[in-house]
Amino acid sequence: MSIQDTIRETVTSNPVVLFMKGSPTFPQCGFSARAVQIIKACGIAKFAAIDVLQDPEIRQGIKEFSSWPTIPQLYIKGEFIGGSDIMTELYQNGELQKMLEGVAAE
Amino acid sequence: MVTPDYIKQLITASLPCTHIVVEGDDGTHFSAVIVSAEFSGRNRVQQHQLVYKALGDRMRDEIHALSMKTFSPQEWAEQQG
Repeated sequence: MSIQDTIRETVTSNPVVLFMKGSPTFPQCGFSARAVQIIKACGIAKFAAIDVLQDPEIRQGIKEFSSWPTIPQLYIKGEFIGGSDIMTELYQNGELQKMLEGVAAE
Repeated sequence: MVTPDYIKQLITASLPCTHIVVEGDDGTHFSAVIVSAEFSGRNRVQQHQLVYKALGDRMRDEIHALSMKTFSPQEWAEQQG
């Protein structure tokens, strides 16, 4: 399986996936820390967190997968939602909460 | 050292902007507010992808972090109003 297939499978088999630097408990970058905080603030306690620092192939592959050069990256039900700026904006205007509503229960 | 002006030049060289402000003085972390007609009809992800495309490999090699807010001229007018 190619790295692109692996990524596609990861984002489609988990309802909420965050590609980040470090872990939710120990984020290694301020932007990743903010992304984790926002997801938790939306009431999502359990989500798939992929630490790109553990795997150079995924770190590079995820950037190609989404044509997005930066980490973190949030996926909901297989769809790329954005990085930490977009997550912040969607959270502030209440859209992210709506997108995540019900997803947690699945 | 990468300066806000340098980033501004890179972006405006391939993306026509009606308004652009880039800030940041540590050489690696920057923030930008960008208004472009090219953003009209595109969602936020697509808008940011256009900026990343303009920055190309420099985004990977020289710029550690660019925090941005993008607006179409119409979104910008609403924002100001």
